[in-house]
Amino acid sequence: MSATTQQISAPSPGIVLRLKRYMLRHPGVARLGVVLLLFVAWEIAARWFVDPMFLAPPSKVLFAFDDVLATRGVPAALRLTFFELAIAFSIAVVIGVVVGLAVGLSKFGNRSFMPIILLLYGIPQITILPIFILYFGIGAASKIAFGVTHGMFPIMMAVVAGVQNIKPILMVSARSMGASRWQILRYVIYPHMIPSFFSGMRLGMTGVLLGVLLAELYVSTAGIGYFTSVFTQNFDPTKLLGLVAMLAAMAIVLNEVVRRAEVHFARWRD
Amino acid sequence: MTTIATPDAAKADAAIRVRNVSHHFGEEGEARHVRALLDTSLDVERGELLCLIGPSGCGKSTLLNVMGGLFEPTTGTVTVGDKPVRGPMPHDIAFIFQENALFPWNTIFENIMLGMTFQGVPKSEREDRARRALEAVGLDEFADHYPSQLSGGMRQRAALARALSLETSILLMDEPFGALDEQTRMVLGEDLSVLLSRSKKTIVFVTHSLGEAVFLADRVAVFSARPGTIKEVIEIDEPHPRKPEFMTSAKFHTLRDRLYELLHDEIRKSMSQSAKPKRAYEDAVAKGEA
Repeated sequence: MSATTQQISAPSPGIVLRLKRYMLRHPGVARLGVVLLLFVAWEIAARWFVDPMFLAPPSKVLFAFDDVLATRGVPAALRLTFFELAIAFSIAVVIGVVVGLAVGLSKFGNRSFMPIILLLYGIPQITILPIFILYFGIGAASKIAFGVTHGMFPIMMAVVAGVQNIKPILMVSARSMGASRWQILRYVIYPHMIPSFFSGMRLGMTGVLLGVLLAELYVSTAGIGYFTSVFTQNFDPTKLLGLVAMLAAMAIVLNEVVRRAEVHFARWRD
Repeated sequence: MTTIATPDAAKADAAIRVRNVSHHFGEEGEARHVRALLDTSLDVERGELLCLIGPSGCGKSTLLNVMGGLFEPTTGTVTVGDKPVRGPMPHDIAFIFQENALFPWNTIFENIMLGMTFQGVPKSEREDRARRALEAVGLDEFADHYPSQLSGGMRQRAALARALSLETSILLMDEPFGALDEQTRMVLGEDLSVLLSRSKKTIVFVTHSLGEAVFLADRVAVFSARPGTIKEVIEIDEPHPRKPEFMTSAKFHTLRDRLYELLHDEIRKSMSQSAKPKRAYEDAVAKGEA
């Protein structure tokens, strides 16, 4: 036996294998790598291959923020859009919660009205944008209204889902201890709904952003949407992309705020 | 009807009086119609621990829910003290359920406080009572844990603490250890026996386990198969708190065998029936019937 046994020294793991293991343990590295790679590709494309009328390199965009903000009307546009977003989001949350609770808490409401909500949610609303302009004018009102109708449905659905899959035993238990209807709503249904409500709010926020900006692009008299079309028509990709980057940053920050709140309120789910 | 084993003299002092209670789920003629409980009468004496035992689907949980006012019986009446039961009676009756009924978004301490909020305990008393209840079940170190961070046995202890903090004279326990492993339930059973011998509460305890019934109960009410009614009531004459040695005594085994004898045919009968009642029961709970 011993004669036929060959001593094979275990090869030390190769560089490829080690890199693979490292990547698996640090998913953030790969993520960052892909993002950087995209920026590099963009930089190269913009510098050497694409007509500068259509694309600006990220290095230039990054330093164009000052320029964008110095453009007459842009700070006011940012303020206006932000105002429209805030108002639209607040209204969407209120409508979403009220309708969601009304529909979600009763079997009758759920059976009767849920199909209507699903149907309305399914309509691509961009097709009826002109009607919004017709009814609400070309000012902030139509943008807010369009933002509301985009944002309220995901919130509604989340609230309905949130109040529905509650464990019956929790309601029975609360009732057996003498909880009133209001107390059940406040101490059982509300906390149960919170995590789902927050994910609904995140979707709703995206919806509101979409609605408001679409309306601004369409009507084009003020706001960020207006300036994106101005910069596009002037073949000024640096400012356009700078503005878009600011907008993206704003969306990310808002989203992150809601996500943090969600994590905080759902900390019992571990 | 013929199976009330309580002497007339004791009736005057009954904590819970059940008279001719029948309960159906669903409407007559419907596919989901189930006769869960048939013409059942029973007196629960003050300060005793009464076990309800029977084959699954025999209506013992239904009877417990009727006693506590969570289901309204189709016919018959229940009185607690001298008040007729027409809905939950949080000042007289506390429940402990088989399923984990703690609010997952509240810590154990908050759960106990919330129970007292529902019951209407003045704010100034709540914290004190919550601490005492936690100590009584040995969970004082886990006050700030969420239910998901505790084991099944600890969760049921917490549920017991919540019920104790309500300081009701009656505890209704629906297979409280049903979802736990045998070793855990044995230990919890012993603890419960100690705890209750001190508290003088009236307890009705639903169980599947013959051993648990004999070990804990002063009396065991044996149910027939569906539609269930009480077939016989057996006395377990052994002082509380019960020692683990009781479980290995000849007396324990004689009583346990007697129970098994009574139950055996009923279990066979119930196994030939469909699983319908369980579902009807769960639907009723989900609907919050009563």
